[in-house]
Amino acid sequence: MKTSSLLASEFPFKVIVWIFLIAVCLYCLFPFVWMLSTSFKTEAEAFRIPPTWVPMKPTVDSYIGIWVRKNFGIYFFNSTVISLATAVLSTFFGALAGYGFSRFFFRGRRFLIGFFLATQMLPGVLLVGPYFKILSRIGLYDTRTGLIVAFLTICLPFSTWMMKGFIDKVPVAMDQSAMVDGCSRLGIFFRIILPVVAPGMVATILFAFLLAWGDLLWALCLTSSEPMITVTLGIARTVGEFRIIWPMLMAGSLVGGMPAIILYIFLQRLLVQGLTAGAVKG
Amino acid sequence: MDLGIRIKDRHMWMVFVLPGVLLLVLVLGFPAITSLSYSIKPEKAGPSSYTLSNYTNLLKDPFFGKTFWNTAVFVFLSVASHMILGLAVAMVLNRALPAKPLFRLIALLPWVVPDVVAGIIWKWMFNPLYGALNDLLLKIGFISTQVEWLSNPKLALFSVILVNLWRGFPFVMLILLAGLQAIPRYLYEAAAIDGASKWQLFIHVTIPGLRKMIVVALALDIVWEVRRFGLIQAMTQGGPGILTEVLSTYTYKQYFQFFRFEYASAIAMVMTVVLLFVSLPYIWMISQEE
Repeated sequence: MKTSSLLASEFPFKVIVWIFLIAVCLYCLFPFVWMLSTSFKTEAEAFRIPPTWVPMKPTVDSYIGIWVRKNFGIYFFNSTVISLATAVLSTFFGALAGYGFSRFFFRGRRFLIGFFLATQMLPGVLLVGPYFKILSRIGLYDTRTGLIVAFLTICLPFSTWMMKGFIDKVPVAMDQSAMVDGCSRLGIFFRIILPVVAPGMVATILFAFLLAWGDLLWALCLTSSEPMITVTLGIARTVGEFRIIWPMLMAGSLVGGMPAIILYIFLQRLLVQGLTAGAVKG
Repeated sequence: MDLGIRIKDRHMWMVFVLPGVLLLVLVLGFPAITSLSYSIKPEKAGPSSYTLSNYTNLLKDPFFGKTFWNTAVFVFLSVASHMILGLAVAMVLNRALPAKPLFRLIALLPWVVPDVVAGIIWKWMFNPLYGALNDLLLKIGFISTQVEWLSNPKLALFSVILVNLWRGFPFVMLILLAGLQAIPRYLYEAAAIDGASKWQLFIHVTIPGLRKMIVVALALDIVWEVRRFGLIQAMTQGGPGILTEVLSTYTYKQYFQFFRFEYASAIAMVMTVVLLFVSLPYIWMISQEE
């Protein structure tokens, strides 16, 4: 009652809020609309002055071209395999450690939590040099396995922290009642906790997946041959080519960004929960 | 009973925590130490096996100085603008709005796509002749000639920051929105009954209620912006000249274009020290709560 009358009395303020909101939406969406529009143009039309906003003769040539004339199929396969493996591994180890941090109060616990947090802060460029040398020496340079190992450095700290946030929300009473029934700790973890935090695990896997999917630095430094590179590196390489075919590049960028966009649209709530449960506890 | 169970299996923590810790030490701690040891190796084999010359060379390298300054400007303006826009959008979205999930989704989109994709879209937006931005600004009469967004030396860094504002504010918005939703409504109502103005509500209720979320968003955002790589690499690769070069792209160049591993490691070490220093309050705050 009180609040609705407050809102009604501020009509001009409301208008300003809406104008602001619409401006922000335009700022967010406009580049995507431009990308979409360009991707349906012919190469000649993309280089018209002034630019056309709606393609005159829409064509899907670019969307075919990225699979046929470029190796997008390979890039997609690599990115999917690498990101998925990284996400599953880091979430599994993250869930284990998260449970440990959530349920046990041992000496050095605070130090280890600090250690996990601090590792999130290290810059990637600190590690790519040694990784390049080490992976070259053991024959894992320019392999998917090498990249998976490297991505664990980004994803494991995040996954641990996020999983701990989800497990913290599960009442300890659940552990205890299972224990009274004679369940072992590992049994509790696998049979009680993991099923309960399954939505959280999905969110964590997704987040780790997106972290790995979106990376450029590691892919750039640790892979080089065409059959091994990822979507992001494939796109970045196209920019370096002598003649940039913009419609194709836009189609590639759109397709390369699509998995992330789709995952977010469907699992927005879960991810927001995960981010705010792990990084930020209320 | 609680106590009895805890004592019985209190060493079980190792089974859960140690695999993660060992893995982290192996894939992250070990390479980090390796990098540290590179950074104190002389670039040319000389009489001594350890030296600080890489670090002293940094101070003499004008490119490093410029790059450091660029990074400071980039991070400061990015984070400040993220906080302002992020808070404003979060406050708007926290109101009773129709279609709120749709707006939140739209505002999240820039943050969702890979760094490279964001960089490339904007590189094309910024294209002086064929890009949409100049065309739009010309049509509404905001500018009279084409602007060289990424090649004008005075503009390049700010154009990159403008893109980074677009890219990064949604994260801050997300964190602060969660914070706003956690502030109890009755605090506002009580203050309003006491006759507080909108501005007073903001200063005395909203900001204190958000304090922790602001620390979190600030710390994480600073760290992420210092490390930002793909966006700049895709858009400008540090150019024109070194006008948009930041520490991460500069280190990458030293490693993989000039193959100066020792020197590059020293730059990376400087970055690491800065990042750990900046994030110390955050790490302290979180681990004290545990």
